[in-house]
Amino acid sequence: MNEYTLLILLLLISLLWFYFGNKTALSLKNKQLKLNSLPHYYGIYVALYSIIPSLFSYLLILVFDGILFSNLIMEFVPKEILNSPDFNKIIVLAQIDNAVRGIYFGEQPDWVTIASNQMIEWNNQSLILNFFCSISLALGIGYLGFKNIHQEFRSRNSVEKIIISLLGLSSIIAILTTIGIVFSVIFESLRFFAIIPASEFLFGLTWNPQFEGAERAGSGQEGLASYGSVPLFVGTFLISLIALCVSVPIGLFSAVYLSEYANKKERSIFKPLLEILAGIPTVVYGFFAALTVAPLMRNGGSLIGLDVASESALAAGFVMGIMIIPFISSLSDDVINAVPQSLRDAGYGLGSTKNEVITNVIIPAALPGIIASIILAVSRAIGETMIVVMAAGLAANLSFNPLDAVTTVTAQIVTILVGDQEFESAKTLSAFALALTLIVITLILNFYALHVVKKYREQYE
Amino acid sequence: MVSNSNINNVKTKTIGEIFSKDPKIICRNVDVFYGEKQAIKDVSIDIASREIISFIGPSGCGKSTFLRCLNRMNDTIDTCKVKGSISLDKEDIYDEKIDVVTLRAKIGMVFQKPNPFPKSIYENVAYGPKIHGLSSSKEELDFIVENSLKDSGLWEEVKDRLQSPGTGLSGGQQQRLCIARAIAVSPEIILMDEPCSALDPIATAKIEELINQLGKNYSIVIVTHSMQQAARISQRTAYFHLGELIEVGETKKIFTMPKDKQTEAYISGRIG
Ligand SMILES: Nc1ncnc2c1ncn2[C@@H]1O[C@H](COP(=O)(O)OP(=O)(O)O)[C@@H](O)[C@H]1O
Ligand SMILES: [Mg+2]
Repeated sequence: MNEYTLLILLLLISLLWFYFGNKTALSLKNKQLKLNSLPHYYGIYVALYSIIPSLFSYLLILVFDGILFSNLIMEFVPKEILNSPDFNKIIVLAQIDNAVRGIYFGEQPDWVTIASNQMIEWNNQSLILNFFCSISLALGIGYLGFKNIHQEFRSRNSVEKIIISLLGLSSIIAILTTIGIVFSVIFESLRFFAIIPASEFLFGLTWNPQFEGAERAGSGQEGLASYGSVPLFVGTFLISLIALCVSVPIGLFSAVYLSEYANKKERSIFKPLLEILAGIPTVVYGFFAALTVAPLMRNGGSLIGLDVASESALAAGFVMGIMIIPFISSLSDDVINAVPQSLRDAGYGLGSTKNEVITNVIIPAALPGIIASIILAVSRAIGETMIVVMAAGLAANLSFNPLDAVTTVTAQIVTILVGDQEFESAKTLSAFALALTLIVITLILNFYALHVVKKYREQYE
Repeated sequence: MVSNSNINNVKTKTIGEIFSKDPKIICRNVDVFYGEKQAIKDVSIDIASREIISFIGPSGCGKSTFLRCLNRMNDTIDTCKVKGSISLDKEDIYDEKIDVVTLRAKIGMVFQKPNPFPKSIYENVAYGPKIHGLSSSKEELDFIVENSLKDSGLWEEVKDRLQSPGTGLSGGQQQRLCIARAIAVSPEIILMDEPCSALDPIATAKIEELINQLGKNYSIVIVTHSMQQAARISQRTAYFHLGELIEVGETKKIFTMPKDKQTEAYISGRIG
């Protein structure tokens, strides 16, 4: 007997209610009464009536108990552990939890055994409580719903109302999650800015968080760590720019070809092929960049006497450009197709050639949408991590030379957070500050893109 | 060259006078197909210099299709095939030597729904002269734009906002802008496909007045579903039915004493 059995029981009860609801509705119908809705709506209505509150109480008790017990159990932890400087609640709870599951690591202190026994008892009590509450809700409220069934009852409308509120709830959850993420990033960033002044972060020219540990240990190397994010943003900008130089012409031209020149058959082959590009995992692009493109560029560069770093902005930007081609081509193709036929007719009617119609009529008319597609591609490029980590390197050089190794914001966030880290250090917290800046930038870009797209829509409606 | 001897020697079922004394466009035995489906069946007709002729008939009878043959706009539809001969100034327009671009510069077109480019009023009118290289200087272009806008009766309304978008004008103004755009390339013929069907009565009246004006300098072929409009503005009227040209004649005669039963039925409002 555990939580899962209870869950299955709840589902079974609601199924049963469905059966009864349906049956009652059918019997009403057999008595030649005209029902307001189809019989199965009555079943669904009763089933929803039973499952929603019971499931809610089930989850509530499950979550609430966990929180309650983890606080109550602290009573059982000896004072000297509670007061010791390296007391960590999470570790203590994990210790007890392991004991509850019967996992032991060597000798076990007495208090852990006592606490875990207490925990087991509480858990059992909570399960029984949960059992009573949820099942009585499933039966009781289900019965209330069942009582509601009569000839004129509008079960379909009620079911629709319930479903609409469920849909609304889901979207609220999605929105709340986003807001939660943003706020957590904001709060952590504020902690970072309490240590490092925002002006240093925003305008400093050196990025070097690696000596953080040494500084804190007081080894006399204080001041070595620096958090000037300019090189990272310059790197990001440089790589995105290279990516755009690759993807905008190719993406735009292929969109023009697809929508204006290709016949149906070519279109049906090319379009899916292009869209496959968007489906390739970025890690594949990453090692393509690192293992194929970067050496190629290095060798090619040395042939013509150029010194290309083995990890270069050029290689990363080039491959990233290939990656974002489908974003530009697909969206541009859509907006070009959305240019009304009447405008093309107008162009042809005045004696334009196909070329003239494309360059003088279609592209200008589709321009806002094309720009929006480019902006979206940029925000994609800015957020891209894998390719940069693998192909552009991690050296935070402040350089505009595409042949140098540079690094980007996202790549730095990865290096900061991969492996061991102290959560309280400025180094770790700097990742949040970087993330916040990045979020703000992409948010602005996306808002702007949406704004442009909206304006463009209004033009034809 | 279509030889003079046989152009007026054509077999046709059409009732009335298909010939003109001073023909600008000569269509002989024109068939149009959309894939397998025949939309125009054996139509022969002349269009005279400086005449206004209207095409009427129930919807789907092929008026637009036939109109679009005259400037080869049907070329833009892949499935569309045109047979028979159509000549402009005695030159076959479907001949391989003919450049559609110059043809369409000679035969302008105005569409059912006003379709100004999403550019400024000035740019809309200047578009045609620019692509055809009709002006060598900015002053010349300004002159063409101003004249075209004057001829289309729009100048007084827009002269102070030539740089504002053409799409911001009212429907009737937009349609007059489209007419200005068409006449800016100095065509010889203007084709109009139900140019007033999207407009209110006042805007329609303005366009009709404009068409009457333009008729002094251009040949105008206008498709309309309003018989009153055909009666008000055109000298000749052609009645189409199910892809066939049933009857052609002086507008007055067609409307007062149609010779064909179907024409009479349509004009008296029994089919349509
Ligand atoms: N692009 C097209 N493809 C296939 N059939 C068409 C096309 N355009 C028109 N048609 C057909 O040709 C016939 C004539 O159409 P249309 O010339 O538009 O008639 P009207 O302008 O007189 O209303 C109709 O039956 C129509 O369905
Ligand atoms: Mg039509």
